[in-house]
Parts: sequence; C-alpha cells; structure tokens
Amino acid sequence: MSEQALDIKRASASVWGSRTGIRTTATVAKYIDASTCIGCKACEVACQEWNDLPIVPTEQTGTYQTLPGLHAQYWNLIRFQEHSTGDGEMAWLMRKDQCMHCAEPGCLAACPAPGAIVQYANGIVDVDASKCIGCGYCATGCPFDVPKFQEASGKMAKCTLCVDRVEVGLEPACVKACPTGCLNFGTKDDMVALGNHRVEQLKANGFKDALLYDPQGVGGTSVVTVLPLGNPQLYGLPADPNVPVLVRVWKSFIRPIGVLAAFGAIIGSFMHYTKYGPKEPPDSDAGDRAA
Amino acid sequence: MSTVIHEVADRAIVQARAHDNIVVGDEIVRHRRATRLIHWSVALTFFVALFSGMPIWTPIFGWMAALMGGLDVARVIHPWAGVAFFVASVFQFFHWLGDMKFEPGEKGWFGPKLLSYMRWETGPSEGEGKYNGGQKVFFYMVNLAALAFLLTGIPMWFPMNFSSMLRQVCILLHDITFILMLVSIIGHIYLGSAAEPGTFRAITRGTVTRKWAKFHHPGWYRKVTGEKR
Repeated sequence: MSEQALDIKRASASVWGSRTGIRTTATVAKYIDASTCIGCKACEVACQEWNDLPIVPTEQTGTYQTLPGLHAQYWNLIRFQEHSTGDGEMAWLMRKDQCMHCAEPGCLAACPAPGAIVQYANGIVDVDASKCIGCGYCATGCPFDVPKFQEASGKMAKCTLCVDRVEVGLEPACVKACPTGCLNFGTKDDMVALGNHRVEQLKANGFKDALLYDPQGVGGTSVVTVLPLGNPQLYGLPADPNVPVLVRVWKSFIRPIGVLAAFGAIIGSFMHYTKYGPKEPPDSDAGDRAA
Repeated sequence: MSTVIHEVADRAIVQARAHDNIVVGDEIVRHRRATRLIHWSVALTFFVALFSGMPIWTPIFGWMAALMGGLDVARVIHPWAGVAFFVASVFQFFHWLGDMKFEPGEKGWFGPKLLSYMRWETGPSEGEGKYNGGQKVFFYMVNLAALAFLLTGIPMWFPMNFSSMLRQVCILLHDITFILMLVSIIGHIYLGSAAEPGTFRAITRGTVTRKWAKFHHPGWYRKVTGEKR
C-alpha cells in the first residue's frame, strides 16, 4: 500500500475540504469475509491496543459477543447471531461491526460543527475531536448507528479505519491481527474484486445467495463485507441503508428556507417601512378616525 | 407654578409605574415594572438561546458562536438558555393570560386582518381592548413555541437516551418552530419600535401618551380614562 495523503475531500458544515484535486488518491477499503471469521476477537483486541482504548467491562448478553453494541471506547465488535438454517441445523453468523466509512457519510451531512467530521481523499471518515461539540447529530445521521458519545470528554468517537496507520502505509490494526485472513486491506477496487471472487467461490459451494455488502444507498462503503447467506438483515445490517430522509429534509431543505425567511423578514421590515412608513396618531383630534 | 406641578407629576409617575392602567398627567401606565421585567427576561433568555443555537443551526451564522465563546461553549449554553427561556415564558404566560382572551371578531387576526393591519388599512375597531388580536395571536404563538422548543429540545440535549427516529423528528420540529418564531420576533421588534412610534417606551419606561393610547387602543383608552367616545 502506497502512502496515503491526508488531504480532506469533505468536511462537515463547510463548503470545501482542503483537497486541491491536483493529486489523485485511490479510495481505500477494508475487506471482511464473514464466511471465514471464526469469532476469535483478535481484531477487537488489536483495535483496543492500537487505539489505546481503555477496556470496557463486558456485558453478558447470552452469547459470546463482548458488548451489546459499539461503545465510545469500543470501536470494533464481532456480533454473534444465531441463525436457524431451517433444516434443524444452527449456523453461527459472525459479523464485524464498525464504522462503514461511507462514500456519502450521513454523519458528515448531519454534523453542524465545521470540520468536526472529515472525509479524507482516500475515503476514510474521521472525527476531529478538537472541533466536535458532542451534539450527537452524527449518530442521528448514521444509518448504521456507529458514532458513540464519550461521557468523559463530551465528544463523539468511532473507528478511524486506523487512519494513523494507513497514512504511513500500514494496514489497519484489526487486519494485521486477523489469524484467518478473513480481513484484508487495499484499494477499494482491489477489495471489491477480491470480494466478488470470494462470492463466486461461495456460490459454487452451495451458498447461492452470497453477496458482497457494499451498499449503494450511501454511495458504497470503504468497508465491504462478504455475506455467505446474502440477506444483510440476518447479520444485523440494514438491507438498503440511506442517510435518513428527515436528516436530508432539515439539512438541505428546511434550514436554507429558514435562512431565507430570516433575511426575508428583516428585508421585508425595511421594505414595509419605506412603503408604509410609521403608523402615527393624526396631528389633530379632528383627524381621529371613525370606526 | 407649572414647575411645581411637573415635579409632583414626575413623582406620581414613578410611583404609578408600579401599577397598570393608571393615568398620570398626559401619560398612561401600560406596563407596570413587573410586566416589563418579565418581558425582558423572556427577551434576554431568548436572545442567548438564539445566539447559541443559530451557529449550531447553520454555519452561515457560525460567527454568532464567537459571542458565546466558541461553538462548543454554545452547545453547552444553548440548552440551559432554552430552559431559562421556558421558565421565563411560563411566568409570562400566566402574567398576561387574563388580558389575552379572544373577543368575537378577532379570529381574523390569524390571516386577512393581520395583512390589512400591516397595510395600515384597518384602524382599531371600537371594541379594541388593551391588546389587539394580532398581539394575542403572537402571545399564544410565543408561549406555544416555548413549550415546543422544550419538548423537542430534550431529545436533542441528551441524544443518546432517545431513538434516532425521535431525534430526527424533534430536530425537524425544533427547526420549524424556530423559523416561525424568528420571523415573528423580527416582526414583533419592528412593530414595537420603528413601525409604530411611541410603542417602545411602553416596555421600557412603562408609560404611553394619551394620544398614543387613544389612537392604537381606543377601547382600552376609554376604559382607563373613563372618557366617553
């Protein structure tokens, strides 16, 4: 992997990022193969270690899953789903839950703090804690319920796709740690090609519904997952994730209207004054208006 | 002689300003001190909420964050300013409620009557009391908005304790309420200052001139002065 420039493609609540567009940067992606994940949680440990995240006490949910969901101090979670295959057999579906690094990130669209959420030229979506105001709008905009509120700092936190490793040409910590090779990292094109190849293998081996999860509703993601059983909902993933319609409505429609209405009311008041002038009592009582 | 009368009258006005609807010389006390303090409590808390909320609302008003000490400070201040605004609004609601009963024929103030009023076409009707229909509409709107801001603001304040769908709806309703409120407040400030001279002093000094009262609120004027038409 060649060194990735940390040019900013897009920043929240800003018109432009810092990217000049002179350099072309390949979009990166993480590849996850749910069919070869053994649920060993090496990726969870690697994530905690590399990002220096204090451990969160586990919560027993009746499975081997470490926590019920992602946490501000736990950005990588293997979800264990028990699935009845219908013929009396039980399949254990394991899926790596983390930030999907959408090409059209709902978190970035919803964020009101300029530059608090950035999308680098290589596609990685990151939170700049120094600019985050902890309003939680990003969590509202995220179709995957990923950003989490860190009580101690009042900031939002999530997977960075190990941008600090990627920028110096290393793969993310979880990929480095994975013992089965079910994780991989590279350009988006390469990872999609790898995923499609694996899907063909699975189909040839009886998994006729196998697919590569790269949801187009959010413009595709920089985390692509091979799902051997196909149906994303079996793995706890939304079938067709989109930035919530209401977030789009208030961000792109209601607020611009509001800004126009505010200036319109001020300009309207001036226009009114110039046309009608002040309303004053007539000079003499004789001019007192009849009802 | 006339100097003495003026001194007596001045002292009387100072004392009288503590009571509504009292004629002192050429002036009438429209808003006693308590009324004015409540009004300015609502206004002050509203503007703190406004200046801390608008930079979060859209980056176009991001410069307002500087007045609060930064966007992160605005995020901390805004909900508390909102709570203070709501508390002030509750006082305001019960303080004014008695004067705000709609009279027959005032329903038109929701639309056509407001427009003709803004063209300075309709003079005050004979029955015009202390407040006209437009002021009553504004009164209920502001207090309803205060409640809507509070109810929709709580899930926005503590986002992690509410579902994403509820937060989306609340942000939308908070926005719509704000837009209606902002436009109305701009109109309120305009009508209370430049558009209708002699009005602003009612909410600062508390008094208006007889001439102003007779012109804008003839019904109230006759009631206060006991003058026949």
